[in-house]
Amino acid sequence: MGYELNDVSVKLNGVEILQSVSCTLQEGKWISVIGHTGAGKSTFAKVMKGLVPFYRGEYTHDRQPLPRDSKGNMKAVPQIGYVFQYPEQQLFATTVYRELAFALTVKGESPGKVEAAVKTVMEQLGLPADLLQEKPFQLSGGLKRLVAVASVLITEPELLILDEPTAGLDSVHRTALLKQLQVWQREKNRTVLLISHQLEEVADYSDEVMVFQKGHLLAHLEANELFLKCADLLEQAGLPLPEPVQLLRLIEGISGRTLTPASCREEDIMQLVRNVWQSRGLHHEG
Amino acid sequence: MLVFDQVDYYYRSRNPVLRQLSFEIRQGEFLSIIGGNGSGKSTLAKLMNGLLQPREGQVMLDHLNTRTPDDLGKIREQAGLVFQNPDNQFITTSVLDEVIFGLENLRVPRADMAGRANMALQAVHMEDYAEAMPHQLSGGQKQRVAVAAVVAMEPSIIIFDEATSMLDPQGRRDILELMNSLHRQGKTIIQITHHMDEILSSDRVLLLSRGEIAFDGSPSALFSSVSITEHQLSPPFAVRLHQALGLKAPLRADWKETVSALWATS
Ligand SMILES: Nc1ncnc2c1ncn2[C@@H]1O[C@H](COP(=O)(O)OP(=O)(O)OP(=O)(O)O)[C@@H](O)[C@H]1O
Ligand SMILES: [Mg+2]
Repeated sequence: MGYELNDVSVKLNGVEILQSVSCTLQEGKWISVIGHTGAGKSTFAKVMKGLVPFYRGEYTHDRQPLPRDSKGNMKAVPQIGYVFQYPEQQLFATTVYRELAFALTVKGESPGKVEAAVKTVMEQLGLPADLLQEKPFQLSGGLKRLVAVASVLITEPELLILDEPTAGLDSVHRTALLKQLQVWQREKNRTVLLISHQLEEVADYSDEVMVFQKGHLLAHLEANELFLKCADLLEQAGLPLPEPVQLLRLIEGISGRTLTPASCREEDIMQLVRNVWQSRGLHHEG
Repeated sequence: MLVFDQVDYYYRSRNPVLRQLSFEIRQGEFLSIIGGNGSGKSTLAKLMNGLLQPREGQVMLDHLNTRTPDDLGKIREQAGLVFQNPDNQFITTSVLDEVIFGLENLRVPRADMAGRANMALQAVHMEDYAEAMPHQLSGGQKQRVAVAAVVAMEPSIIIFDEATSMLDPQGRRDILELMNSLHRQGKTIIQITHHMDEILSSDRVLLLSRGEIAFDGSPSALFSSVSITEHQLSPPFAVRLHQALGLKAPLRADWKETVSALWATS
């Protein structure tokens, strides 16, 4: 169940950009998409949203084919939210308030409800209320991005796709965004599809990870499985291990012990490494 | 030398962005500028190459002043700025033309243009895409082209405004290496970044906060002296590791060597 691709291929200007991709995005999961520049991550995400036509394969939601227009082309899937890689591709309104209120107003929500939703999403992302009267295009790069995320999050989509949402965010806003998305996604059993180059944040937040390489889906695994057991796959995709996992491997190497952390999250790895370090008598307080 | 002398800047007078900023950047320095979202980093970058003029005070590049209209051409030749978001700065229909475009304004002889542009594309590993359309590139590829366009102009100061934000780990390393190699050639490198691991190799860090300079010094001094979390930043992995394990050894970008050495001596 969930959103499902079966053997989907995409060609743009005669070049095969995605080759024979099959996957299921299960409800309630945080799935991250990684791969080097140009591996096809954004194209894959656009296929999921129904923005890019594919010449082969099929796309279903809960086993039902997705609706098409009268010419048989895919349509943008309304229940899927999409935050673009560049906020400029998305922002259009004259004030931040209007930007955030737009989708709900179009849906016919009452002004009171819209206002409450805007307030909530601003708080969730740690944005100050005085931003609401600003022009989105005049904000700093990071603030623009947060407004773009907020304008999609406010619609509470079934599946939320974010294309590098943390690029350009300072660490406070980055952590706030990821934590809030996780809370929202778990509470409401929503699906998150996160495209990211930050392997550390992928390891910290994901249930599953999809690895793309040159238009192929090289692997789709549980995050723990990928980062702790399948280093070779990452290497094949031209990606380094997240730094905490590199630390784990280093300590294994120099101690000659096999270490099994509770998960691939930095917190769990640090805890384990700290124990090993202390047992060696290497720990000094302060 | 690039000199900021009591610079004030605001977009609207009731919202000051930079206040009474004074500092100097020497030729050949490798400087990182950090600070929270909206703290004024990009504004500072645009003041450096005269895209914006100070409301009060002066920005001087050697004897040139960004407030003197006749100096602006020379200032922009000497100080190149790679913008934060490359998507809205492409104007031509091929990657090569995009890089050549900048050279046309610099009175570079026609015969040299293609050669210089190709060298710059090689430096960012985009030579295979010379004929591609800029708008069809991936985000990370666009960012590389934007870097190449500035590098081709051979300015003596290059300002990178979050030039690595859209890149994969390899791409980030490539751009950092390019910065290092330009620095070794004697260029002044100024990078704006949110990635604290990227600042460890610079000579000097400026931390912007509420329109003022909250810190000016070496990267290791920054992580030991200032509570950077107060300024919406978090320490890089190497520093988190030092804290978690209580390491006393001096902070280095390459934490692996530090850990191995400490283990071996115990
Ligand atoms: N063209 C503009 N008109 C009005 N205000 C602006 C304009 N550009 C920037 N600002 C405001 O000036 C302040 C500083 O913006 P700036 O872009 O310099 O920040 P920054 O440090 O680069 O942030 P980021 O890390 O998000 O890129 C912000 O409050 C921003 O909203
Ligand atoms: Mg900026």
